[in-house]
Amino acid sequence: MSEMNRKRRLRAVPSFDLGIDPADTESDDKSRENDALHRAGRGDESAFAEFYDALSGLVYGVILRVVRDPAMSEEVAQEVFLEIWRLAPRYDRDKGSAKTWAATIAHRRAVDRVRSEESRRQRDERELETLDEPRDVVIEAIDAREESEQVRVALSLLTESQREAVTLAYYGGHTYRAVAALLDVPEGTIKTRIRDGLIRLRDHLEVTQ
Amino acid sequence: MTTELHHLAAAYALDALSPEEHQAFEAHYPTCEICSAEVADFRATAAELAAGTAREVPAGLKDRVMAEVSTTRQVSSIVPDRAVDLAERRNRNAPRSIVLAAAAAAIVVLGAIGAIRATRTSDFDQVAAAPDATTIQLAGATGTIEVIWSKERDQVALVGDGLADPGPGLVYQLWFLLGDDAGVAPAPTFSPEDGSIETVLDVEDIDGIGWGVTLEPEGGSDEPTGDVLYAGTA
Repeated sequence: MSEMNRKRRLRAVPSFDLGIDPADTESDDKSRENDALHRAGRGDESAFAEFYDALSGLVYGVILRVVRDPAMSEEVAQEVFLEIWRLAPRYDRDKGSAKTWAATIAHRRAVDRVRSEESRRQRDERELETLDEPRDVVIEAIDAREESEQVRVALSLLTESQREAVTLAYYGGHTYRAVAALLDVPEGTIKTRIRDGLIRLRDHLEVTQ
Repeated sequence: MTTELHHLAAAYALDALSPEEHQAFEAHYPTCEICSAEVADFRATAAELAAGTAREVPAGLKDRVMAEVSTTRQVSSIVPDRAVDLAERRNRNAPRSIVLAAAAAAIVVLGAIGAIRATRTSDFDQVAAAPDATTIQLAGATGTIEVIWSKERDQVALVGDGLADPGPGLVYQLWFLLGDDAGVAPAPTFSPEDGSIETVLDVEDIDGIGWGVTLEPEGGSDEPTGDVLYAGTA
């Protein structure tokens, strides 16, 4: 990204909303977010601004977690918000929350970006005849420091191997096949760990649609 | 294949499928009740993982986003009253084809003679020859259906062989696969003759990632009620 963007990021921010809400007000906030996105889908720009204020922390956070590079993450986040705006007329409150919708699009685009960067880098590296060192990625992705307390607790309920598979796939942005290769475990085993891990997380987080 | 697909919902919700599996699953799950429910569930779980990484957003991003928003067109929503919509389109189509013919004629006059055959060809050929036409192969149990889609014309040219007789009171129906968790949107119905189909259908102005085909009661359905017999993505 440009020099100007970098400067903007360094500017002091008086207050910000991370988009995480205390549990008791969560359902209210959720329906407000859903409603804002629904209205944005009718072309209401101020409703979209409301949606942005509520969920931009989540969108940017998950992109940054997967992409890692702040400048590139900001670029992806901008694309994601535009896509959310463009697709908002298709958002259906009955089929899921605005939060899930936004997280789905943000994660998908983040993953698209790292995978295309990866293949570009791998091409470059092959030319230089240097080998990739995937183990760094493993360590990075399973380091839980960057997650909120709630998610950390939820992740701690998984078995070590489930946690590893879920975080490498979601936060690391790897396909289950890549996870299998990284850990030297059969693909079917990773698929099962991801599935069992997600079921356990779901039950703990009591996800409501 | 289908049994295998049923187990991919969790990995799909984490965007952890290979591009091929992702595409296959995306064509499958909107039409499978169990997989749709699982995808919704697991996506909500993944969203909690996303919420756990929320971060302060760079200052200035909102201004840039809102500036772009004010100049960016949204996609059309799925119009509930399709009958009206299609009737409108039919009326619009008449003058438009005159414009097209006139444009084609003008190009001929300008000297680009060889390639232009548009003035007196059938509807089918016109869709197939539309500059923006994309061809999508729909794989099915018996044979394939080819969908040639022109978004500019809001029409598809459909060609296929080896289609089973739909049986009394049933017709084939085409569906938009919308992608991005949006499910499917209805497109018109069609009936093969002696197992073959070659026709042009008016479709809505919707951005889809591909097409599916089911068997439905005559008149078509708002949501698929039959199994997906053919599906394919661009």
